[in-house]
Amino acid sequence: MPRIPFGDWVNDVVEWLLSNAAWLFDFFKNVFNGAYDGINWVLQAPQPLILAGIFAVVAFWLRGTVAGVLTFVGFAFIDSLELWDHAMMTLSLVLVATIIALVISVPVGIWAARSNRVSAVVRPVLDFMQTLPAMIYLIPAILFFGSGAPAGIVATLIFALAPGVRMTELGIRQVDKELVEAADAFGDTPRNTLFRVQLPLALPSIMAGVNQVIMLGLSMAAIAGMVGSEGLGADVNEAIGQLNVGLGSESGVAIVILAIYLDRMTSALGTQASPMGRRALAKVRAAHGLTVWNYRPRPEVAVVGVVILALVAGGMGIFGGSKSENPVADASDVGQGKKISIGYIPWDEGVASTFLWKEILEQRGFDVQAKQLDAGPLYTSLASGQIDFETDSWLPTTHAQYWKKYGKQLDDLGAWYGQTSLELSVPAYMKGIDSLEDLKGKSATFDGKITGIESSAGMMGLLKDKVLKEYGLDKEYRVVDSSTPAMLAQLKRAYAKKQPIVTTLWSPHWAYSDYKLKKLKDPKGAWGKGDGVHTLSRKGFAADNPEVGKWLKNFKMTEKQLTSLEAEINKAGKGKQQDAVKTWLKSNPGVVDKLAPVKKSSTAGGKGEAARPVNVAWFPWDEDVAVTYLWKRVLGDRGYKLNLKQMDVGPVYTGLGSGDLDVNFDAWLPYAQKNYWDKHKDNLTDLGSWYSPTSLEVAVPSYVKGVKSLQDLKGKGSTFDGKIIGIEPGTGEMNLLKKNVLPGYGLDKEYKVVDGSTPAMLAELKRAYAKKQPVAVVLWSPHWAYNEYKLNKLTDSKKLFGEGNTIRTIANKSFPSKYPQLTKWFKNFKMSESELGSLEAEIKKRGQGHEEEAVDAWLKTHKGVADRMAPQ
Amino acid sequence: MSTLQAEDLYKVFGRRPDEAVEKLRHGADREELRAGGTTAAVIDASFTVEPGQIFVVMGLSGSGKSTLLRMLNGLLEPTAGHVRFDGQDLTALSPRDLRAVRSKKISMVFQHFALFPHRSVLENAAYGLEVQGVPRKEREQRAVEALRLAGLAGWEKSWPDELSGGMQQRVGLARALATDADLLLMDESFSALDPLIRRDMQDQLLELQKTLKKTIVFITHDLNEAMRLGDRIAVMRDGRIVQIGSAEDILVTPANDYVASFIQDVDRSRVLTAGAIMAAPGKGYDPADAPATVTEDTPVIELFTPCSKDGVAVAVTDESGKLTGVVTRERLLAVLGEPMKPTAQTSMTKTAKDAVPTPRGEGDEPVKKVSTGA
Repeated sequence: MPRIPFGDWVNDVVEWLLSNAAWLFDFFKNVFNGAYDGINWVLQAPQPLILAGIFAVVAFWLRGTVAGVLTFVGFAFIDSLELWDHAMMTLSLVLVATIIALVISVPVGIWAARSNRVSAVVRPVLDFMQTLPAMIYLIPAILFFGSGAPAGIVATLIFALAPGVRMTELGIRQVDKELVEAADAFGDTPRNTLFRVQLPLALPSIMAGVNQVIMLGLSMAAIAGMVGSEGLGADVNEAIGQLNVGLGSESGVAIVILAIYLDRMTSALGTQASPMGRRALAKVRAAHGLTVWNYRPRPEVAVVGVVILALVAGGMGIFGGSKSENPVADASDVGQGKKISIGYIPWDEGVASTFLWKEILEQRGFDVQAKQLDAGPLYTSLASGQIDFETDSWLPTTHAQYWKKYGKQLDDLGAWYGQTSLELSVPAYMKGIDSLEDLKGKSATFDGKITGIESSAGMMGLLKDKVLKEYGLDKEYRVVDSSTPAMLAQLKRAYAKKQPIVTTLWSPHWAYSDYKLKKLKDPKGAWGKGDGVHTLSRKGFAADNPEVGKWLKNFKMTEKQLTSLEAEINKAGKGKQQDAVKTWLKSNPGVVDKLAPVKKSSTAGGKGEAARPVNVAWFPWDEDVAVTYLWKRVLGDRGYKLNLKQMDVGPVYTGLGSGDLDVNFDAWLPYAQKNYWDKHKDNLTDLGSWYSPTSLEVAVPSYVKGVKSLQDLKGKGSTFDGKIIGIEPGTGEMNLLKKNVLPGYGLDKEYKVVDGSTPAMLAELKRAYAKKQPVAVVLWSPHWAYNEYKLNKLTDSKKLFGEGNTIRTIANKSFPSKYPQLTKWFKNFKMSESELGSLEAEIKKRGQGHEEEAVDAWLKTHKGVADRMAPQ
Repeated sequence: MSTLQAEDLYKVFGRRPDEAVEKLRHGADREELRAGGTTAAVIDASFTVEPGQIFVVMGLSGSGKSTLLRMLNGLLEPTAGHVRFDGQDLTALSPRDLRAVRSKKISMVFQHFALFPHRSVLENAAYGLEVQGVPRKEREQRAVEALRLAGLAGWEKSWPDELSGGMQQRVGLARALATDADLLLMDESFSALDPLIRRDMQDQLLELQKTLKKTIVFITHDLNEAMRLGDRIAVMRDGRIVQIGSAEDILVTPANDYVASFIQDVDRSRVLTAGAIMAAPGKGYDPADAPATVTEDTPVIELFTPCSKDGVAVAVTDESGKLTGVVTRERLLAVLGEPMKPTAQTSMTKTAKDAVPTPRGEGDEPVKKVSTGA
């Protein structure tokens, strides 16, 4: 039998279409995108509960009171699951796909009903579309339409078209032949016969088709999540990818609610739309009599209800949603996009003043980066000119050592805040301790500890080297290095329990307004004289930026202003500093103009590469979730917009190759994803590895004794039932295992590798682990399963799994030229195992949908990572 | 004059219909063709319907009568032959012109009513006018009038499925009358109704016809209905018209055994009239002696009582009262008796064969059972 190269033909056709019909697909893509964005915009605009109300009124009108109430409850439930946005995305996708499907399928169905030949041609095509596995056209859909909504719409369309055509054809063919003949006998034209007789009578059947189209569309929407369509499908995909059944079912239930609603509404609409249905309904109602439960408003009433709610929604959308970014007013655009970077130490007054200036300078048209640094690196960066200025130098005392060392390369722009002081503080409930001298001999009370802040802080050096010695406390007390937030957290905890605590603190500080604290007196003057808070800049900054230099030199803040700003920032929490500043500025009008006065003339400026959103594809694998959200956060701070699209491996490579996606952070190369890389490498660029080494391995639970290496598996086939639980067939690791590893250790006769999927493998592992059954699974590091379960990686002494992959950032070929800055950052990006592990754990702890909070929390405890990732 | 004329109509279904028509013209048998996969539904049908006449086509199911009817308004295109109506050859018209003729000049009433279930009674009745493009107001007025004629005044807002069968067919009739078409085609229009209602409808149709004077082609398988309604009757068998004539012609002189067997269950006493059976008065016959004087269209059943009283023949007069013939007791008995034995030996059969030319190639056999309905 000769090999028929059918696959090659298909490939050729795809290639040909890609090179010759791209304009056509682009056109469709734009149509799909436009329709999707439009509907999505409408659905996302109103408040969830108001839209739920609109849905409920529609249900009330179509089906009655019970349906209306249940609808509202169902949609409110979706909202309470925090899935509203995604549900509306899914709904938009289904609606667009349904509308397009109907536009195509009803005419085709009519045509097929009137011509047996057309019917004969159409039927096998429909069979083909309905039974072809979705994955086969999902991937090409990306090639042609790009990832995201258009690909999802196309996949849904292909799947959902068939019932529309079939039911339309059936409906028309089922119309009594005598009726059609009657129309003919009275001389009606075929066209009018269609509209006067056939379509009205086929309507119930056609509406059943519409109903089926929607149902199939919804079921397909879940699968469309694999090609980066946003919405509930992506949630399901992600949850299942992480074996989180609970979260997966939340999204699943949301889909079901949508499905039931759409099903009931379309079937009710089916009876409402046809006169016969209306009459049948009226009869039933007449038979049962009118009660509250089956009362239905007349259409006019329902329309009025919908309109009122829509107006309310629209009004709220307009007035509530108008917090658009303040566009730079022309006159005040001094910076014209010029970049300024501000360094800050995460001390409250530093944060406050830094973000205040960030906001002010941005309002003046500068592109401002605020970088959080430790004191040491801050001065180094400032001296080397990487940072333009900082606002938090305590001079002449606290930061004296730095000034001594770097002063020549820096400019002092003057103090903006007057007298400060450093001190040790104890809660007011600590009786009898009022000065540093009182601490002597009380070390047992305080457990011998002074809760400190960052070890690099000037006051810590001062405390350890001078203050404790002068009062003879250095033997008795140990200064605990930690961080300002940790110190404050300790203080808060101890304060709440009224436990003894002594902390390093300084004034001004909001802690003094939140808690009743005593500053310990310093009769010997060991802390030195009070400092002023100075603004320091790199040498020559004021000359380069005369306006800003002038503003900074004139910068002054009162204690009241500073503490209120600090309190505002503290209230808003990490990551929202600038929002807090904005709020504060609102209640302190005129500050901006006072601090940064402008003359009335200037022009608007461009924004560079940050203006273009970056499409980032990610897999629902833990390390990729972690790194992708980390980058989203970090780059978000730097003014970039990242569109995250969750997809499967194949689609990601396809999308990157076609330029539809820009970048992916989770390429396991050179082994695990070799086949994808080889196929698309001409259109991709490798931005280097950020994590290495990884390893591929077979793992067994540690309760399986005596199996430590791959050699140990020999002869244990019966223990493991002759099975190694694999993942998706065709992945690099599976190929390696089957072709190299098992034969290499002589295991290929004894073990069969079970093809499946990653979630299935993890589920099997979980099941076996819970029952303490022997199981051997295909796994890789890093993987959260190693944290979750006690597993042994089987050693691979022959190195048949290869030397280990590295996790690399890969991007479309044109990425470096489009985003030179990002390319530089990505190339230099590195993460350690502990960083990645802790970030993954944080994300897993907070759960799906809270990735961003988790990243924020993690960044709080990993200072400097963001600046390491994206320095300027 | 809107005379309807059918000329040598053929309708053959299946492959190469033209060849089949040629074969039929040269005397081929219907069965031969069926073996070849073609079905000859109507073979060589010719007739003329005068204006204002009710022309009934009668035959069993499968005899081709419905096919014949559908060729008359062009729903089916004849394989050969011509249909002429109102000076136009319908078979030569374009589909568009044909539709125009159908919408204005020919309307149709169906066996199963064929009412549109999604339209109210009024909308159904106005349908033909809607097709013609008559403005809503006018067409609703005319539809109301048509419904009144059909005896459905006040039911305009009802829906078809709320009406009884007879009322539904009245809607069908109103729909056909509303367009003011000259020619009314009725396809077994009363067959699906209960016997009593059917009789009502027949009466109503006859009543309407007195004033409207439409040209009507009525298809039925019910002989009694045919006899009641038909000014002229065509009997069809296996696609051919075997006899055309008035009710009396067919009863008194059936063209062949088939027709004879068809009519054997008919209550002749009610169908035959004095005029059909009367003989010339004998010499010296004095109408004054007669036990009764009747008109020519008096059913023979009304002659029994007078004939039994007296040996003198009953006098038959025309509308002006002039004596045209007599019916004797012997004649009365003979006429009722004759066709009761339609077997080959009876003299009556022979007479019938002489009376009407026997259709080509017709091998008539007695029909075992004829469903004549009520």
